Formats: sequence, structure tokens, C-alpha cells
Amino acid sequence: MTQRHRLAAGGHVDRAHRLGFTFDGRRYEGHAGDTLASALLANGVRLVGRSFKYHRPRGIYSAGVEEPNALVELRSGARREPNTRATVAELFDGLDATSQNHRGSLAFDWMAVSGLLAPWLGAGFYYKTFMWPAAFWERLYEPMIRKAAGLGRAAALPDPDRYEAAHAHCDVLVVGAGAAGLAAARAAGMTGARVMVLEQDFLLGGDLLNDAAHDAWRTGTIAALAAMPGVTIMRRTMAFGFYDQKVLGAVEQVADHLPEPPPHTPRQRSWTIRAKEVVLATGAHERLIAFPGNDRPGIMLAGAARTYARRYGVRAGETAVLFATHDAAYESAFALAEGGTRIAGIIDPRTDSVAMQRAREAGFTVRAGSVVTGTIGGKALRGVEIGALGSGSRGDALPADLLMISGGWNPAVHLASMAGTPLRWDDSLLAFVPGEGAWQRSAGACGGVHGTGAAARDGAEAGRAAAVAAGFVAGADVPLPEAPAADHRPFALWEVKAGGKAFVDLQDDVTANDIRLAHREGFSHIEHAKRYTTHAMGTDQGKVGGLVGAAVLADARREPVASVGLPRYRPYAAPITWGAMAGGEVGQNFQPVRRTALHSEHDALGAVWMDAGLWKRAAYYPRPGDADAWASVKREARAVRERVGVCDVSTLGKIAVEGPDAATFLDRVYANTFSTLPIGRARYGLMLREDGIVFDDGTTTRLGPDRFFVTTTTAQAGPVMQHLEFHLASAWPDLDVSLASVTDQWAAMSVAGPRARAVIAAVVQGLDVANEAFPFMAVADCVVAGVPARLFRISFSGELAYEIAMPAGYAGHVWKAVMEAGAPHGIEPYGVEALGLLRIEKGHVAGSEINGQTTAQDLGLGRMLKKKGDFIGRVLAQRPGLTDPARPRLVGLRSVDPNRQIRAGSHLLVDGQDQGWITSATQSVVDPGWIGLGMLRDGDARIGSEIVAANPLMGEEVPVKVVTPHGYDAENLRVRA
Amino acid sequence: MSAPEPTHPLAAVVRGRHGATGGEPLRVSFPAREIVQVMMRRGQDSAVAAAMRSAFGIDPPGPGQAATGSGASAIWVQPGQWLLTAPRGTQATLAARAEQAFAGLAAVADQSHGRTTIALSGPAARDALARGCRLDLHPSVFGPSRAAQTPIAQIGCLVHQTDATPCFELTVFSTLAEPFLHWLLEAAAPYGVQVA
Amino acid sequence: MLRIPCPHCGARDEVEFTYRGDATVARPAPDAGTDAFHDYLYLRRNPRGWQVEWWQHHGGCRAFLKVLRHTVTHEVRGVVTATGALEAPQA
Repeated sequence: MTQRHRLAAGGHVDRAHRLGFTFDGRRYEGHAGDTLASALLANGVRLVGRSFKYHRPRGIYSAGVEEPNALVELRSGARREPNTRATVAELFDGLDATSQNHRGSLAFDWMAVSGLLAPWLGAGFYYKTFMWPAAFWERLYEPMIRKAAGLGRAAALPDPDRYEAAHAHCDVLVVGAGAAGLAAARAAGMTGARVMVLEQDFLLGGDLLNDAAHDAWRTGTIAALAAMPGVTIMRRTMAFGFYDQKVLGAVEQVADHLPEPPPHTPRQRSWTIRAKEVVLATGAHERLIAFPGNDRPGIMLAGAARTYARRYGVRAGETAVLFATHDAAYESAFALAEGGTRIAGIIDPRTDSVAMQRAREAGFTVRAGSVVTGTIGGKALRGVEIGALGSGSRGDALPADLLMISGGWNPAVHLASMAGTPLRWDDSLLAFVPGEGAWQRSAGACGGVHGTGAAARDGAEAGRAAAVAAGFVAGADVPLPEAPAADHRPFALWEVKAGGKAFVDLQDDVTANDIRLAHREGFSHIEHAKRYTTHAMGTDQGKVGGLVGAAVLADARREPVASVGLPRYRPYAAPITWGAMAGGEVGQNFQPVRRTALHSEHDALGAVWMDAGLWKRAAYYPRPGDADAWASVKREARAVRERVGVCDVSTLGKIAVEGPDAATFLDRVYANTFSTLPIGRARYGLMLREDGIVFDDGTTTRLGPDRFFVTTTTAQAGPVMQHLEFHLASAWPDLDVSLASVTDQWAAMSVAGPRARAVIAAVVQGLDVANEAFPFMAVADCVVAGVPARLFRISFSGELAYEIAMPAGYAGHVWKAVMEAGAPHGIEPYGVEALGLLRIEKGHVAGSEINGQTTAQDLGLGRMLKKKGDFIGRVLAQRPGLTDPARPRLVGLRSVDPNRQIRAGSHLLVDGQDQGWITSATQSVVDPGWIGLGMLRDGDARIGSEIVAANPLMGEEVPVKVVTPHGYDAENLRVRA
Repeated sequence: MSAPEPTHPLAAVVRGRHGATGGEPLRVSFPAREIVQVMMRRGQDSAVAAAMRSAFGIDPPGPGQAATGSGASAIWVQPGQWLLTAPRGTQATLAARAEQAFAGLAAVADQSHGRTTIALSGPAARDALARGCRLDLHPSVFGPSRAAQTPIAQIGCLVHQTDATPCFELTVFSTLAEPFLHWLLEAAAPYGVQVA
Repeated sequence: MLRIPCPHCGARDEVEFTYRGDATVARPAPDAGTDAFHDYLYLRRNPRGWQVEWWQHHGGCRAFLKVLRHTVTHEVRGVVTATGALEAPQA
């Protein structure tokens, strides 16, 4: 298949380099330097897709990021990528592209029948029609609408490619490498500034690529930039967002132009760039004119047709009509005529202009004072209907397979607007242009300065000013291209009202009538009209027709466009992939995994892991013969109750609190007192939030007059540290206290059970661990298995227990020594599940009870609150709502039938009334059966009564008996043994 | 009975070449360090400076700076706080020396096991780090004897440039050293990386 | 994304900081009573404009900083350490 619409010469494609590709299964050929769109046009493919709502046939409308129609699927299988604009998809050998949104073939789409229903499918149709009956929505309406509307299909397989994030800094960031951007970069680069230039295209030059006369300046400037060591040019990199303080986000398409990324190369890279100064040179987007049938394949923006002719050497049509409202668009007629296209006529609503006269001199037929009133054709344009401006009637028709339209140019103000720059209406350009300031300088067409020479001069000035603002001294002048500027000031023609569908948003199938309907129905604010009609909500975000829709709304409101305005610009300026958004934070890098120093010991024992925040903790250690997980957990817990067990407790937060005011500080941050704690003793502490709710708990040890060792729960280690730091900085800056997180320095294990002392005695050196010498809550530095360690006599399980803390690198060594010393005593390692079982039996609270809603009184810990002295939470804990005796209180629960399970989260019903909930549940090993802890109204008074644990999700109502939470060894004889 | 050798948090990492082959690779190593956090008492600036000078031959570096003296380095980490580091040796531990030197002047917390240092060097080190490090490490802004703390790959990291190769010593919490290294080797893979 | 110039570490990304709200409220004296603590904890001005705020540089030097930020434009005009003074301009 030859490329019958390819010009013999000219442009920036390599005709010696042929690339094969397929579209909808048919094979075609293009050249290096083509986009998929230019290659399709070269092969005469006009119909490339079906529209979103009406399934109307659509063709290629633009030559850039603004494309509303030519959305295709690229590649297949796991790499299938939907909704990719053919106009920016760089062609590569073997590219496999498919059209989307049709049932049956693209040429004969069964869903096109909805076009026949079009009169009833206006704005708000779905909202109004599919409301009733409500039950139909999920089962019928939504699936039906989803099937009818919609775009491409995402790959159903995991993405095999890698994406990564990257960070950059520069003095001057230039976005866009057209005339303005290149000049800006060169002017800034000459000052010695670090300059980054981002260009979304694979070629540098922007509109310069459409005029061979500028080639020398373009290549010369690029070469000069390449020679500057401080200048980095990034092609295929699209700046999608402008964030606070001159931070921009950009996506680099590292390997999208290749069939597959090479080894160690990501598909895309997501950049975060921090610039001292920013020059935006993002150009402008040409806008459509709304007239009946302005969406047929063969209708194209005038500048795009010129780009296809000049840059790609492709004739977008054989017989063309130009419909334009300003002189600059006439360049397209000249450019296409050069390539052999017959210009059937130029339709212009104006009466006269310089370009009109030039066109007539060149022999073109110019129809002044005229407009396009309709188009003829189905899957391809065949003719253009013409009428007099303002007449509203259809006149004669011209045959054409290409209609080039231009209603003017909209500066690409997206990034400037995101930066907070106010937009200003320009009455001569009939467009919004950036106002002053706010973190950016807009240069060239995006600032409303059109024409190569003027844009380059504007860019050079902006680049120099940016470098100076970044602290550099302005360098010499940069050479600028010379070019007469065509007049870009359009005649104000937004819409031709002549009956028929006049689209303002091709991608979302929004017509001018839809906008008027929105206004009639009260959605007259631009933001409301947008959402009611979906105008400018597609992947193109209204780049081609957004302002036209606003103008139609303005007309309906009888107000100027300037006062209607545009919807707010937000990232992303153009579509990016989910992969780029995720960057490298997938798989193992999604979230770091934190491992204790004993991780490999647990691994060797076959631990089943559970996540606790970032930590991996051993849940339990299954053994052959354990019937199920519960069997393992109960076996481990029984070992602790009956003999001895060892558990890794390294994940607890540990903070060294030191300084002359350390004791005073702890008295203020804990609800109980630490200044009275003797050296060498630990004490359980309760920390409240300022609102009086319990924040955290843990043991604190006094190591010296001014030295304390604080432990926190695993979950709250970070928040507690920040809480302490905040109060030292803000409330009590006079206190001389230092805080050091030593969580990672110390690994820790609990050795618990009636035989714990025997095991400890066997591994500890230089310390008498007899009960009298080392009683409950004693702490001492010592040597364990030959390494320096700290021994605590504290217990969470309710048994005689010791905690050994040692520098983390010795943890494995000590663990092995403990296991060896414990072997004769039947020691077993126990995991977090058994730990939970033991503490529930004992009635110790944990995260399920300290859940951010409970007070010390609620948890039965009210007596811990000191009566004298200030502490965080003291005042507000006394509020009536928190001291109300009827608040739910901590109780123990026991399933009346030992075989009936109770679950955390179940509601506690008393005479059918919801009176509380179960916080934690487990199976007891002391008195077999299901037990739990819960929060129950009038809990103390209800001890002994029988109530119901209801779990509607599981369909369960289980009778439970309310018991004291501290039923196991209430006198603490075992922990003190 | 002498204490056994502590287990390094990255002991299980596969040594040798990772990532792209060919060309001069980046180099990654795990220098054995003793690390001590020194936290100055209120108003003891000059006394702490004198103590650090006499015990370690270091003038306390200011924000963003590191300084090296006789066998030890000090890195500023917080107002009034430094990390003192020294190669793991046979003499009295760094913590014991610091306790003695700063008695009454500063609190001292041994972090030798709590922090793990990974050294990364090679011409492409900056580019590799830029895959996750938000700092500007350009020679015009950063350089030898500069240090900064910043999260990299969601892990808090102390970045200390030790020479102009450039070589960066990256110190992280030991329990997060493994995922950090995993990220680093992936970031360095395009350049090839040799783990010593 | 904000960039906050830390007086110790230089300009850093917002992700390195933790927001702690209005820095002009002070914890009342211990005997100030429930109303004073209630106001301290719950009442905020929520200005449209300049506000002095607490930001902790948790990912860097861990210092609590006072930051003068415009709540609409996100412009940051001043940063001082916890003991420093920073006034919000009227307007």
C-alpha cells in the first residue's frame, strides 16, 4: 500500500526510513518522524473513531495534544493503552493501533443508531431519564450506558513495564521549545544559569517545524543550547501541572516510541521539577467554529492541515475549503496549495482583509461575508454548504473532502492559570491571556504574542529576565529569526446558527444547543454548565472548543465572554498514564517493609507474618500437627501460661528522654507521675490527648536522675514522638529536655511464663534475678549471653515475665541463647496472636480499646489520673460528656456456649437495645471458650448479667456473659511471683 | 566472655554486580560504623564545642554541614544535635568516649545499631539518587562535607557527601535499611552497580 | 505542592513537613479553666489570607517552625524557628 497522500519532498519525515504499522488490522506504511495520525492521513485513512455519545464517525481534527477525536488503542495484551491521541503517538515499526468505541466495524457501527435518537439525547438526558425506578439504575441503566458510551479498553493484565519518579532542580525552567521557548532557553543559558527545557514533542521547534525558512535558526539555536553545559533539553516530556512555589510536574515518555522499553529503562518517568524561575512558552491551540455538521471526518483545524503538509509532507485532502475568521489562517490555504491540494474556496465572515486580497491575487476564490452553514457527507466529507453571514439560511455548496477551520487561537494558559495567574480577556485576540505575575512568565503565543519573530523576541526577553531574577547577570543578545507576523486577530464568530448539530465539544458530543439548554435549566455559571453538559470534561479538556462553549453561554446570558469566563484549570494539562502517576511506588516500593532484627529467626521458625503498620511481625509459628491457626496460637499461649515463651517485642516505640527537666516534662505529658519513680524502676504510663481522650500507653523506666527510657505502642511510636516534640517547642520551650528515638537501636524480646526466671537466670550474667533482688517493675543494665543488655521485669501476658533489650545487632545471638536455655523448660516462641490472646485473658487494653474514643475512666484506669499538677488532657478530661458515668466501660465477655464464636465489632444488645460493642475477641486457654473485651454502658453494674453479641453482617446473635475484664489472676500473684 | 560480632542489617544482601552490564558501575558498600547522637544541654554551646574539639578534634559543624576530625566525623542533624560517627574499632566504644567527653554538657544516645550507613559512589551517583531524593545535589549547591536529612523512597535518610567522586554516605534507620537498599539498587540499575 | 524554606535546611518540599495549624494560639495556664482550653483546642480563625502556622520539618531537622503562609495563594513569606516572632499582615 503506497502512501498516496504523501508529498514527494519537504518536512521532517525520513522518507528513506519506512515503518510498518497496522490500524484495525490493516497494514500500512509510514516514515520515521511520523505520528500515527500523519501516517494514517498519508495513507488516506480519514475515519479513525466514533464519538462518545452519538457514535458519529470522526476523523483527525488536530495535529497535537488538543486532539478531541482521534483517540485510539495502542499495542495489545498487557501493553494495551486506550484513549491515546493518534496526533501525538510517535510512529514505530510494528505499531499496532485499533479504533475504539464502536460495535461491529468502525465503518458500520451498530451503536450509531443512537444518532437517530439524538434529538432526545441532549444535555441532562441521562439525569432526567434514568432516574426511575431507582432499582433499575445499577442493574440496567448504568451497564447499558457504559456499554453505549465510553472510550477505549484498559489492559486487563498487569503492566509489564516499569515507571519511575525523578526529581530535578534548575534556575530557569522553560516549558515548550517553539520559537519563544528556544529563544528563552538560549537567553537564559547564556547567563550561566541552570536551564531545563521541556518539550512534549519528539522534535524541537513547535511551529518552526512548519516553515523551512526557519530551519537554519531552529537548528542553530538547538546546537547552541546543546553546547551549553548548564542547559538540559528534555524532549517527549510534557509538563502537566504547575504547583505552588514554582514546582512543576512533567512526564517523560522515555520508551513510548519503542515497541518495548530496553533493559533497565522505564516506559515513562514522572518528573518533579523545582525551578527558581519559570518561563512558559506553551504556544496556543486553534479553536473551532460551531456550525452544523462541524464534526465530519475531513474537517480539521486549519493550522493542523498546514502542519501535516509542511512538517509531515502529507496532503490532508485533495479539494479543500478554508473557513476562517482571521488572516493568519490563510497560511494554511497557501501551504496546502503548494502541496497540490485544490483550494475550492475560502469562506470568511469578514468583508475584506490583507490576506483576502493576497488570496485573490493567488487565484483563490474568496467568499467574503460568508459562513459555513452545513456539511455534506457521511463517513467522509463530500461538500460544504455556504450562506451569507447572519442570514441563517443555507446557500450553495462547494465540493470538498477537506474543510479547514479556524475561529482564532487560544493561548495555552493552562499552566499559568494553575500557577494562580489571573486570566485577562484580550479584545483583539478574543481570547484569555495570562495577566501579571504569580510564579511564571508567559512568552510567545501562550502570552498572546503571535508570529515567529515576535514570539522569539518575547521569549528571549522572558528568558533573560528569568535568569536575572534567579540571580544571574544578563548575557549578550541572542540571534532572532526574522519573519513578518500574520494577523491573528479574528472576527468574532463563534457559532453559525443554521439548524443541525453544531458541536462545541467533539469528544463529549456537546452541542451549542446543549449549552443553551443548560442555561435555560438554570445551570448558567460556566462551572455548572460544564458539569451539566460535560462540556470540556474529556481528555482534551476543551482545548479546541472550550472557549466556544463559553461564548455560546455568554450569548445565551447576553453577557460578554469575558464575564462568563472559563472553568478553572487544574492538573493535568493533558492526559498522563496511571503508570506515570504511580511512578516507582509499586510492588516492593509501594511502601517500605520494616523488619525487626529478629526477622530471620522468625523466618527460620516458619512464622506466618502479619502487617503492623510498616512492620512485619510474626503472627504465629505453625507446627506439623497443629490442626489450624487457632491450634498454633493456643499452643503458644498455653506454653506461656504453663511453662515459658519468648516473643519479639522490638516494634514498640522507644524514646530516650534526657535532661534536667525530663521528670517535669514526663509529669506533664503523662496523666500519672514519673518524677517520683525511683532509678532502676519502670512504671506503666497513660498519655492523654489534650481533649482528654487516651492517646497511648507504655512503660517508662528511670535510668538516672535526668534519664528516662520511654516506650510507646507500635502504632503510635511516630505520633507520640511528634506530640512530645510539639509540646516542647510550643507549650514549654523553657524545659531543657532532649528526645532521641532509639527504637531501631534496641531490639527486645519478652520471656514470659512461670519458668521465665529459670531461663533468664541461665542467660544473664552479673545480676541477681531472684524475686526479692529483682522484683516486679525492676530494671537493670546487665550482660545477657555475653552482650550488653537491659533487663526489665514487666509483663503484658499476666505471667512472670522479663523483657530483654539489647543492641539490635546482638538480637539474633541472644534469641538463640534464650531458646537454648529455655529448651529444658519447654520454651516456645509466641507470636502477636498469642500475645493478643494472653492480654485479653488478662484484661490489658491495647489499640482496639485505646481507639481514640475512650477515656481513662472508660478503660477502668481513671485512678491513674493524678490529682495535683498540670498534664496534657487534665482540664478537658473533666468535661461532663467525658465523665458521664453512663459512658460505655471496659468489661470482660464470655460466650455462654463455649463453642459459639464472638467477634470484635459485634454490638452488645441489652433487651434488644444497643449498649456497646466488642473490641477484642479470642479463645481462652485458661478456661476454654470464646472470650473478649468490650465497651458496655453501665458496664460495671452489668457484670454477671447475660446479654447478646449481635453481628448482623454474619447473621449471628450470640448470648454472652458480662464478666470482670481482670478475671485472670486478679491479685497479680503470678506476675509478682 | 567477649561479645560476638553484631549482625549487620544488610548481611543477607547479594554482593556483586547488579543492573546494567558494561561500563564503570556505581559502587555500593556498607562501612561498619559506630554512630552516636549527641544532644546539647541548654546554653552549653561553647562547652560542647570545646569538648568536641578536645575529644574528637572536630569543630561542631553548623546546619547542613559535616566535619571530620581525628578518627571521627560529626554531622549536624538538628539544632543542638549532631551524629558522631567513627569506624567500628577495637578501643572503647564511641558511645563510651562521647559519654565521657560530654558528661553534663550533652545527652548521648548510642545509635550504632539503630542506624545503618550505605556508601554510594560513582559519577552517576547523583542521577541515581535523583530517582527518589528531592534534594538538589548539583555541585554548585551541594558538595563534600555537606549533609542533609530527607525522606528518600519514603524512608528518612541522612545524605552526607564525603568526596567529589561523588561519594554519598546514606544513613537510614536500620530496620528500614533493606527496603532502602532495594530501592537504591533499582535506581542504580541503569548504570550498573557493584555491591562490595 | 508547597516549598517551605526551613531556616536550618533550606527550601524543602511539603512532603517533608507536618502541618500543626495556627501558631498564634498558646496553651493556656494550667488553671485557666475549661473554656480557655476549649478555645485553645477547638477555636480557629480560618482566615482567607495570611496565617502564621506550625509546620514541623519532620523529614529534615525535626524543628517546629512558624510559617507565614497565604491560605489562598500559598505564598510563603516568612519562616522562623519556634521561639521566633512572626506577625501576619492585616489584609
